[in-house]
Amino acid sequence: MEEIAFFAGAIGALGGAIAVIALRNPFYSVLALIVHLISLAGLFLILYAEFIAAAQIVVYAGAVMVLYLFVTAYVGGVEESIWEPIPGQRFLAPLLAAALFIELSIAVVGTALKAVESTGPTIPADFGSPGSIGELLLERFLVVFEAASMLLLIAAVGAIVLAGRKRERETVPARGAGR
Amino acid sequence: MTFEAPDIDYAGLSPVLALTVGVVLALVVGLFGSGRRQRIVVSIFGLGTLAAAAGLCIWQWGESKELIAGALRIDDLAIAATLVAIVSAAFCIPLSWREESVERPLGPTGHGEFQALLICSVLGMTLIAQAQNLIAFFVALELLSVPLYVLCGSATRREQSLESGLKYLIIGSLGSATLLYGLAFVYGASGSTDFDGVRAAVGGAVVDDPLLLIGIALAAAGLAFKLSVAPFHQWTPDVYQGAPTPVTAFMAVATKAAVFCVVVRFFDVALGPAVGDWQPALAALGAVSIVVGNAGALGQDSLKRLLGYSGVAQAGYMMVAVVAASEAGVSALVFYLAAYALMNLPAFAVITIRERETPFGDHIRAVDGLGRERPALAAALTISMLALAGLPGTVGFIGKLFLIEAAVDSDYTWLGVMIAIGTMISLAYYLRVVAAVWMRPAAERPAGGAMPAIAGGSQEADTAGKGVRCRVILGATLLAAAATVFFGVLPSPLVDWAARAGESIAALP
Repeated sequence: MEEIAFFAGAIGALGGAIAVIALRNPFYSVLALIVHLISLAGLFLILYAEFIAAAQIVVYAGAVMVLYLFVTAYVGGVEESIWEPIPGQRFLAPLLAAALFIELSIAVVGTALKAVESTGPTIPADFGSPGSIGELLLERFLVVFEAASMLLLIAAVGAIVLAGRKRERETVPARGAGR
Repeated sequence: MTFEAPDIDYAGLSPVLALTVGVVLALVVGLFGSGRRQRIVVSIFGLGTLAAAAGLCIWQWGESKELIAGALRIDDLAIAATLVAIVSAAFCIPLSWREESVERPLGPTGHGEFQALLICSVLGMTLIAQAQNLIAFFVALELLSVPLYVLCGSATRREQSLESGLKYLIIGSLGSATLLYGLAFVYGASGSTDFDGVRAAVGGAVVDDPLLLIGIALAAAGLAFKLSVAPFHQWTPDVYQGAPTPVTAFMAVATKAAVFCVVVRFFDVALGPAVGDWQPALAALGAVSIVVGNAGALGQDSLKRLLGYSGVAQAGYMMVAVVAASEAGVSALVFYLAAYALMNLPAFAVITIRERETPFGDHIRAVDGLGRERPALAAALTISMLALAGLPGTVGFIGKLFLIEAAVDSDYTWLGVMIAIGTMISLAYYLRVVAAVWMRPAAERPAGGAMPAIAGGSQEADTAGKGVRCRVILGATLLAAAATVFFGVLPSPLVDWAARAGESIAALP
């Protein structure tokens, strides 16, 4: 059962990732990225990380991807240039990717895959479950959790401060200040 | 699964609560009024918040207890770092009055937002000084940094300031990411996110685990970015120069205090048993920083760049105290952090005033002939430069003495020698400023207006030209300069204070 779930997730993740770069329409690429992220969430589930799986779907596959979709729909329809934007990219990119693949393979084989035969680390039964994470957020990390909300608030304030620049630029010529 | 509400110690948490309320108040109050009225109302709330937080810190002085089930801990070291951050924020609020980027309707930021960002950064520093856990450590570090990124770029009319904000954002994020990666490795090796748990695991079997070594290396690099320790310092001069001067002053002083506090907890306490792994690395970082900072400052004509490089060198001096990994080292570090605040803030105040008074910006020509023109300011700048150089009779001398003593006690005599050599080199550029103040005639100003070309338009000249004789700024500057001399002659109150902070860490020899 676990093997089936793993291969389903792995094929979905790899297929989605390949589709992201293979598809020509950016809109379809974003949809393929969603497939990739949901498959990753499935892999997290096999690792008993239910909370991360849920966060992956809600935050990435949900919120962030909707933002991407809006942006592609908003900006979309840009004609792809006939020339390659970076000269030699078609030749260099596969070369670098192959180099990276070889490097990673050497690193993986270099560890002699020691952990493959073992059952992995021993963890408490409810480790990483939504319940235990929620408990941590409300107990030990109460203040840290609230600090994260302050962080979001102040990031929003900062964004407004920096974005206020455009409005101000527009009013400058109206005042007739010589720049 | 049962839920047990954590035992919340509201008394210990009170400085954090006061600062949180202050952020929200500053934001809300900033909505009302504009110009002078907004400035006065927001500053009353901002300074009031900082005063309340400082008062609560002093009330909690001497306590040593876990807050919220051990995620945070309030002790004398945390309170000392918090007080340094609060004092420097309180010093920067008057400096920001009439700053062109803050003053509405011309400036885009507004006093409410400026002070809310400033206080939020202090809140992050308070939390990071109390952190007992890798997660609290990282969240607090972000809470401290994000407002600073925005503040650096807040003078959106000047391209330099935007560049500074963007540079700090990118480099800061890189540093944060490196640190987080390192913390993940430390967690992977030790199996615990608590500093105590890491200490227990490191003391056991995992000392030679390559995971731990990678984690230590990455975390040290990430923290070095934040502390502007060479060779991770390249952003420092640019960001210091581009940011609005009050922000630079706050950044230079308060960030170091808070981050060094957590460096002590992370390296000296959590990774204490693995001291052999990180001590040589941090010693090398400190030594490189001393050399690079002092050499880089030599040719600088911009005062803010000069202080930026000087900050790199000073961070190297302070790193020596961490390397010492002893109670004397922590005491010396806390003393030096307080001294650094007292020495640096007057210098930045004088630069701010001269930026508004003269057309030279932060160029060294702005202080030419200051001795004849404004003797009080000249005296403050001179004291600050001499103290940074470490001349006897100032608090800087005593601070360096303690640093060297701590280094020698921990068998790092060569680092003590490095401090002495760095001090000798540093005299060359600090004395150059002093010479400009007292020996050169005032630089001739180009005809046509007293304002630098950065502003343009007459309204800015109205705003920026005023306030150079603000009594609050002058008073605070002279007070800090006087304290520099006072604690240089009679260091015992500050020494006792720093010693208490050092004693609060029980794990050290």
